Amino acid sequence: MPAVQDILVLFQTTPALDSNAVAWAHYNASQGTGVHDFVEESEPPYKNAMEAMRDGWQVIQMSELKHRSNDDGYELGPLPYQTVLAKFNELQQEEESSS
Amino acid sequence: MKDNRLTAKEMAQFVASGYLKFEDMVPEDLCNACLEEMRQNSRGYLAVGTPFEDTWPKGTALGDTFRLPQVQGLIHSLVGSDPLYDHHAAHLVKARQMRGADMHQDSVIDFRENYFDIQLSLFPTDTPDEMGGTFLIPGSQYRNVRTSEIGIYHHMRGKIWATCPAGTMYVWNTRVWHGARSNHTDQDRYMYKLRLNPTQPQVRNFDTADLDDPEIGQILSTNHGWEGNEHRYELMQRVKLWRFVSDQPDYDVGERFMRRIEYQPSKSVA
Repeated sequence: MPAVQDILVLFQTTPALDSNAVAWAHYNASQGTGVHDFVEESEPPYKNAMEAMRDGWQVIQMSELKHRSNDDGYELGPLPYQTVLAKFNELQQEEESSS
Repeated sequence: MKDNRLTAKEMAQFVASGYLKFEDMVPEDLCNACLEEMRQNSRGYLAVGTPFEDTWPKGTALGDTFRLPQVQGLIHSLVGSDPLYDHHAAHLVKARQMRGADMHQDSVIDFRENYFDIQLSLFPTDTPDEMGGTFLIPGSQYRNVRTSEIGIYHHMRGKIWATCPAGTMYVWNTRVWHGARSNHTDQDRYMYKLRLNPTQPQVRNFDTADLDDPEIGQILSTNHGWEGNEHRYELMQRVKLWRFVSDQPDYDVGERFMRRIEYQPSKSVA
């Protein structure tokens, strides 16, 4: 089977690659096109992007610092920074959704 | 009413974390009757924006539940007297129904300051972990997002979920990030949700006897695990809401970060 791209997104509150992940998402295309039975994870798979890089993940996007103004400097919205990592894994047969 | 109101420390916890949990809120026989009503009539809208007391059905289990003195005290503490009915739904995750990440914020983005709607969530049966009780992200209520776009956050530090005995009620700020979870049991999982709006400023509707308790500052400063570098900015939002609900316009904690906005001697000269 061919190798296809899996994506791991680490969400952080500073843009640095050694910043702790506070939220995370797996998009494992090698396993299927969606998540049908979500399994809770209390800890991220890696504490930060650098630890993931040491396990073979490649950084394909890191965040830039944001400019702040008097208007939005205190505003709260989505988590401000993210690192997108990729790894190629062998394509697997997709399991059927039970829902 | 007075005996059933929230304490100031509980109110501070609501301001900091966006939710409170109360076990043994609804007696077992009433829970069972509510469950039957939920099975028959799952969701819908009544007259949105009308007085709750006039609109909410009487002579039914769900009608009686939300009129229990302990529930009325809770409602009064947060949205005052004479709240408006806004929305209700019996949420069902069927036996063996699997769910995805599902993180979302209800309704639509809401920028209103010195204001919050509440949602009451009743779990009418025992809801163990494997049954997939609703999850919440404590403290997320100050973040402006558009409904389901936060589904990108599959996992988040600090996430909690309802694992509780029958009769437990959660009350939460409508803006708290949350979602449903997979039900790995052979029983359907129900949760009944009711949203209410205030009709008056939400100021000192709770029991203020412990308003000066120094622990309140610590409660407002709670770190839920996901805030990281944003914690100071979260704290400023909590302080702003605490000032309002407690009617203490100069309240601040620790380094008093609100001074970075408010201390401007040049303006007082003019």
